[in-house]
Amino acid sequence: MKRRSIEDEARIANLKLLLSCLAGGFVLALMVGNQEGTQRDFGYAFREAIFGPRIILFLGIGVLLYLAITFGPRFRPYLTRPGLRPLGAGALTVVVSFTLLKWTDSPQINTGKFRPLADAASATDGFDSLARFFFGSATSVFPWLLLIVVTVIAAVGMIRRSVPIAYTAAGLALLSGIWAEYTSSRISDFLNYPSHATGGAVAMLGFFTIAVASVVSARSQAEVADTDGFIDKILAWRPGMALVALGVIVGLVGVFNATWFSPGDRNANLSLTGTMFNGTGLGGFSAAYLGWLGYVLFFGTLVVAAAASYLRHRVLAYVAVVLGIASTLITLIVVHDFTGLAAQSKFDGAQGAWDNLGTGAWLTSAALSLFAGGGYLVIKALSSGQVAVFDSDHVGTGMRRAAPGQLGAATLLIVLVAALFFPPTATEFWQTVLVSEIGIYVLLAVGLNVVVGWAGLLDLGFIAFYAIGSYTTAYFTGRLPVQPPDWLVLSPLAAIPFAVAVCLIAGVALGFPTLRLRGDYLAIVTLGFGEIIRVIANNANGFTNGPRGAFNIPAPHIHIGPIDLKWGESALGFWYLLLVLIAIIVLLFNRLEHSRLGRAWAAVREDEVAAQATGINTTRVKLLAFAIGASTSGVAGVFFASQVGSFTPENFVLNNSILVVAYVVFGGMGSLPGAMAGAAVLTWLPEFLKDQVPAEDRQMWIGALILVMMIFRPAGLIPARRRKAELSGFDHPASAESTAVPAGEGM
Amino acid sequence: MHPVQEFLNFLILGLTRGSLYALIALGYTLVYGVLQLINFAHSEVFMSGAFGSYLVVNIFVDDGSRPPWYGVLAILILGLASGGLVGAAVAWTLERVAYRPLRRRGAPKLAFLISAIGASFFLSQLAGKMFNRLNNNNFPTYFNQNKHVIDIGGVYVTTIQAIIMVSALLMMLFLDSLVSRTKLGRSIRAVAEDAPTAALMGVNIDKTISRTFVIGGALGGAAGFLYGSALFFSNTMGFIPGVKAFAAAVLGGIGNIRGAMLGGLLLGIVEATLPTAPWVKPGWIGIQWTDVVAFLVLVLVLVVRPTGILGERLGRAA
Repeated sequence: MKRRSIEDEARIANLKLLLSCLAGGFVLALMVGNQEGTQRDFGYAFREAIFGPRIILFLGIGVLLYLAITFGPRFRPYLTRPGLRPLGAGALTVVVSFTLLKWTDSPQINTGKFRPLADAASATDGFDSLARFFFGSATSVFPWLLLIVVTVIAAVGMIRRSVPIAYTAAGLALLSGIWAEYTSSRISDFLNYPSHATGGAVAMLGFFTIAVASVVSARSQAEVADTDGFIDKILAWRPGMALVALGVIVGLVGVFNATWFSPGDRNANLSLTGTMFNGTGLGGFSAAYLGWLGYVLFFGTLVVAAAASYLRHRVLAYVAVVLGIASTLITLIVVHDFTGLAAQSKFDGAQGAWDNLGTGAWLTSAALSLFAGGGYLVIKALSSGQVAVFDSDHVGTGMRRAAPGQLGAATLLIVLVAALFFPPTATEFWQTVLVSEIGIYVLLAVGLNVVVGWAGLLDLGFIAFYAIGSYTTAYFTGRLPVQPPDWLVLSPLAAIPFAVAVCLIAGVALGFPTLRLRGDYLAIVTLGFGEIIRVIANNANGFTNGPRGAFNIPAPHIHIGPIDLKWGESALGFWYLLLVLIAIIVLLFNRLEHSRLGRAWAAVREDEVAAQATGINTTRVKLLAFAIGASTSGVAGVFFASQVGSFTPENFVLNNSILVVAYVVFGGMGSLPGAMAGAAVLTWLPEFLKDQVPAEDRQMWIGALILVMMIFRPAGLIPARRRKAELSGFDHPASAESTAVPAGEGM
Repeated sequence: MHPVQEFLNFLILGLTRGSLYALIALGYTLVYGVLQLINFAHSEVFMSGAFGSYLVVNIFVDDGSRPPWYGVLAILILGLASGGLVGAAVAWTLERVAYRPLRRRGAPKLAFLISAIGASFFLSQLAGKMFNRLNNNNFPTYFNQNKHVIDIGGVYVTTIQAIIMVSALLMMLFLDSLVSRTKLGRSIRAVAEDAPTAALMGVNIDKTISRTFVIGGALGGAAGFLYGSALFFSNTMGFIPGVKAFAAAVLGGIGNIRGAMLGGLLLGIVEATLPTAPWVKPGWIGIQWTDVVAFLVLVLVLVVRPTGILGERLGRAA
């Protein structure tokens, strides 16, 4: 081959980069738009997408990308300054809020997004003038101008390392955040519509992020940002303080601003609710809560938690935990009381307790639980003796070890609080999505993570066990053509042990003949197994009712002595049931990961021969992985069957199996939080995209997202710490695996 | 019709189906040979071959026109070539976008699988957006596909079956000699055998992998044209033949070229003939159980021979 000079090589590489950037812009042009060809004219959509002035825009995006890649490194020293990354994240959050999110659910505004709302609101006289100004009564680009000004000032402060400018930016951002939330709450008041829209709150969080980033940059002496180190440092400085701070923001909105009670078209915050129930025969305790006790509890818990965190005081921390949990419960009881009272008097069509609620009570409960969480973190840090001192010498590096588990525990608590108190504030649509899409697939991903992530067995037929679980439930509740004996007709929850047992057996039955297959052979056999189960379900009419599937499966019902729990009316109830199931399974699996069996799985995954040589019974270990993963999806199947009430074999197609594998890998193979996050994000996304792109294009965007994610972050969203080598690495030594096909070698 | 006649006709149907599976399976097996990865997006290469060749063929013939035999032949060759070209281009891009960056990062093996799944979703939906999402697109008819070219005592081969089998056979012979005789074939085998050593011997691994994708893609794209001509084409047409072809590749021993051909033919025959085989009582295995039977056969073969019928290695077999 002819040798090229280095300059030529560089020029060619440069040209290639430009061309691929332009190609990227071209593909983007194809992706955006809602045309579709017809059978007569295949090229219609193509021409619409490519020929026309819009192509210049997309090619321009390509050129910008090229410029960013080419000249980006020159700005690197500036871009790594402390605060710039969070600034970018904050600004992006605000942009998302302004472009993608709903600001109101009211049907008066057609999409509920920011733009149409702002246009309508800024033109409306009689609407709060401050809010109108935010929406752009002076000039319609005002909100964007505000964002740009705040961002630019903050960026200048960071890059020029000017403390006064940074503080100015922080102040501006703080004000803008409050302004955004104020505007959003004025909107729901004005439209008299109990809104579940998140736009205002997200904009506020975005602006607050900018404010925090500016303060950080003003106070930091470092040249290069160390984000992880900084987060660890903050968490280690005063354990629990981050949770308390978050609780303050959430709680202030909850207590003072958000709607507590919204019968019909009124939006009453806490004090207004108190006035409304004044002298209505509401119990003295609840009346007191609405009158003054609520505030006292909130601020009392806040002060105790903050003091416990600041002083790192054990007794105060215990008090904060107890107080936080107790006042959360009190809040819930009070809410039950006054909504129950309103329902008794058929107030605005209330059906029963818990009707006509706004977000206020839930936000307040979340804040109170966050305070309790803060207290818990203090106790945790104190008992492990890991309280570090805020010390600029430790910037970034040494502090990592100072706070192990703090970040994880704090995140876990926040997620838990969100899981408990966010769903009631969501719309019914999102509650349903949360249960029947997100929750169930999280459970399945947790199960598959055992097989794929831990034991390293690629299973492409995982949905089969889910189907078996569902059909087992249908059988034991007597909804299949074949009936169980009378004494064995069960309620769905009582079918869980049976479903688990059947799935265990199915897992072993599949595993036993096939486990001596390796890697991709196993993949195709499991895929075949999944198809076989589905085809049997579809065709064994006498047993499974064929393509019509099973229907009228009863909802779960627990009746033991005084406890009488019924599910069925709302998705919310199912959500809490699912949450309990997920929590139990995750707790068990978390123990399992570090147990003898978990370590054996890791050994088998990394190198089966070596594992065998060290005395691990690989067949047994792999069978256990199959069986445990299968039983998890059996539980998911029971839940699914009793939640939806009816299902057909179409629910268990091969595509779903592939999707679950994608969720696990997307999230981070072998990492429990990763698998859950992957499933949650990828099941949430299609529903979110519904408002953004034509419905039939959603899978395309998701495919592109998965592709891009794997290119730039192949280890997944939350990679497993322990995992170094790859799946099915037992064909080759783990270290050689990744370099088995080195790129760019040879001539 | 006599059961034996019927069986033989289904055998021919199976051979036709099997040659298509084999053509697609070759794409899986070639990539597996050099990368030890399942190229999940290969089904979309197949799909794009069908769309690409339709766009070309549609220019040259109108529906219902009856060109002379050499015209038909020319169009067939044009269709195969254009399908192959589009398939090759898509496969090449796929390697560049979905595989090479991950290889450079030393990503775990499953990450490749998932990026390919992402690419597969993306491509099939993009095609749906660009062209249409209907499930009944057909090529223009320009010759009588169902004429019996061979008919021996009720056992017949239709035109389209003959075309599929002959062109598949030619392509497979071509591939076989390409891999076993040419320099490119030798470097493919070398990379499949031991990539680091091949690199030391002066084989450009990146280029070899790229070309392997191109060859597999060309075969898959041509198969897309054949499949589309015989049946229909749509943006989701790739999925089921893709899964079957993947199964066929595994059946024959993935990474093994002759294994993929054998596996494809075998799977096609098993699928088509089992429900109607003379030794099976009529109605004993309904047509709806075909997939179950095919997969059971696959499982049985793998239980007896865990690395497929002909074993794994691309390097060794060719």
